[in-house]
Amino acid sequence: MVDGYGIVARDVCRSFGRVHALGGIDLTAPYGQVTALVGPNGAGKTTLMLILATLLAPDRGEVRVGGIDPVTDPVGVRRQTGWMPDAFGLYDQLTVAEYLEFFAQAYRLDRARTARRVAETLAATRLGEYAHRSVHVLSRGQKQRLALGRALLHEPRVLLLDEPASGLDPHSRIELRDGLRGLAAAGVAVLVSSHILSELEEIADRIVFVSAGQTAGEYEVGDLANAGPMPWRVRATDPAALSLALVELGLAGGAAGAAGVGGAAATAPHESGVVLPPMLEEQAADLLAALVSAGVRVVAFGPVGGHLESAYLALTGDQR
Amino acid sequence: MTVSGVWLVLMQEFRMRVRTGRWQWLLGSWTAVVWIFTGLLYVVLAEDQYNDDPVGIPLFGGLMLFVLGLILLVSPAITAQSINGDRERGTLATLQATLLTPTDIVVGKLLAGWSVGLVALATTLPAVAWTVTEGVTLLRAVVTLVVVALLIGVVCAVSLGLSAMLPRSITSTLLSYVFVFAIGIGSPILFGLSSAVLATNTGPTRDDLVWWMLAPNPFVVLADSAPQLPPKRDKYTGRMIPQPNDPLGELGREVRGVRRPPGYQRPYPEPVDYPNDHPVWPFGLALNLAMGAGALVIARERLRSPAHTLPLGTRIA
Repeated sequence: MVDGYGIVARDVCRSFGRVHALGGIDLTAPYGQVTALVGPNGAGKTTLMLILATLLAPDRGEVRVGGIDPVTDPVGVRRQTGWMPDAFGLYDQLTVAEYLEFFAQAYRLDRARTARRVAETLAATRLGEYAHRSVHVLSRGQKQRLALGRALLHEPRVLLLDEPASGLDPHSRIELRDGLRGLAAAGVAVLVSSHILSELEEIADRIVFVSAGQTAGEYEVGDLANAGPMPWRVRATDPAALSLALVELGLAGGAAGAAGVGGAAATAPHESGVVLPPMLEEQAADLLAALVSAGVRVVAFGPVGGHLESAYLALTGDQR
Repeated sequence: MTVSGVWLVLMQEFRMRVRTGRWQWLLGSWTAVVWIFTGLLYVVLAEDQYNDDPVGIPLFGGLMLFVLGLILLVSPAITAQSINGDRERGTLATLQATLLTPTDIVVGKLLAGWSVGLVALATTLPAVAWTVTEGVTLLRAVVTLVVVALLIGVVCAVSLGLSAMLPRSITSTLLSYVFVFAIGIGSPILFGLSSAVLATNTGPTRDDLVWWMLAPNPFVVLADSAPQLPPKRDKYTGRMIPQPNDPLGELGREVRGVRRPPGYQRPYPEPVDYPNDHPVWPFGLALNLAMGAGALVIARERLRSPAHTLPLGTRIA
């Protein structure tokens, strides 16, 4: 196993009775990077997270978290791993500071380090003013921040986050994104599962697609752009001029058979623009240049739903 | 297991309990019930006392049997949700993922629940202290209190085990009450019916074959384990007789008598002590403690992670 990886999972299987949650999943998460775990509901993301968090034993396969096998040395893994489950409870009867103190002590931090880490976490989560107020007065986003702070109390080198962005407002999501980028910059191996693909594209360095308990693909985010042709959307100030130009370029109406775009036609114009048939980036750039030189005043031109969404739909398309 | 880990869980559970319930009201009404019972029993006994028997002895026996029954009714509720309740609230998995060991968690939770029961028991201490000045030996008072304390611990431990085994807290609470019912009421019923069945088949009573059915009964354990009081001289016949008006002593002698071989002839006059009678309580107490310990072992196994098998219907997180 490679030392540069915070998480390595090879051919991991896990069944619950007759349900095969994981059927040989592979995953690596290097230190200093954010790896996103993407897949539809029931693909096995949470099961894999539980195995990595030392709570569930795999039926088969090899797992290393921080270089340690969570089955044979769960305590060693817990010492250097932070985990935030997708659904979690807080102790409603405790204050925010008490909650953090309890977990700091449960992670065996000594008295001085407990005090220091609680203070640092209160500041980092911007929950200082709530330190002596009950946990149950916190908003959803604040609770999420508290749980993330809790997961980081013992300064883990590996961080496992299961759907951390669900239910967060845009502002909190941006905060989460910046927080995770900061942790990765500090050398932490971050594994994050999420459904919010557009967010992940900005957070993640690497994307692991899972489908039906197996790895469907493992990509660097930069490579996704060239993973395959994808539909593009174009919008111009004058939709009529745009339509006309597209017809002239052989991309609309009955002008099928345009070179390089597989004979597909653009959709009818709409206020949000025109969706063009799947193209690679080079083809799209050529088309954009052609539109501009034809005098169309283009204001938006980009892949529909982002690279990640396109790749996700392509890889999990059979499940739609 | 680590002392600091157990202590952390214990204090955490305690803090949660103190802040959750209206425990001041619960404790207050509990104390009121105990003291009203004690007061009424005292009045009844004092009225009834036509001889010089000290009133403290029946008062102590009655009070301890009453308190044991009351605590048995309350104890299952203390710990029957402490593990699956945490799981339902989503706080168990994050706790398991810390460096606390399963034993830390189980023992901490047990001690927290147990100490609630002990606080309830402690409210009877003033009454107990008073009965000691009224004829109850200190040894009997201490032993009886220790036995009640252990029995509370057993019920807490069994309930804790059930809360670890069963996914739903409502089911584990129900089964904890079934357990208390089984040892408290089921055991004498089973004994009575078995005794009757044996008697009709074979003629003489064969209670010596089924005495053990009574052994796990907490009231039997409590009464039989209570050290005997010194005998007294009967003022009419001048013979030594066991201390009269002693519910614990009488119940204890009764269950020991059940173990006698068939055809045993009671000597007349009744002796102060039957030297060949064997106590029942060591079996009962050992059985109860074994059930409690077994439940704790199961609870610890259930909390051990990484988990290979999960209880049906359970999600880790």
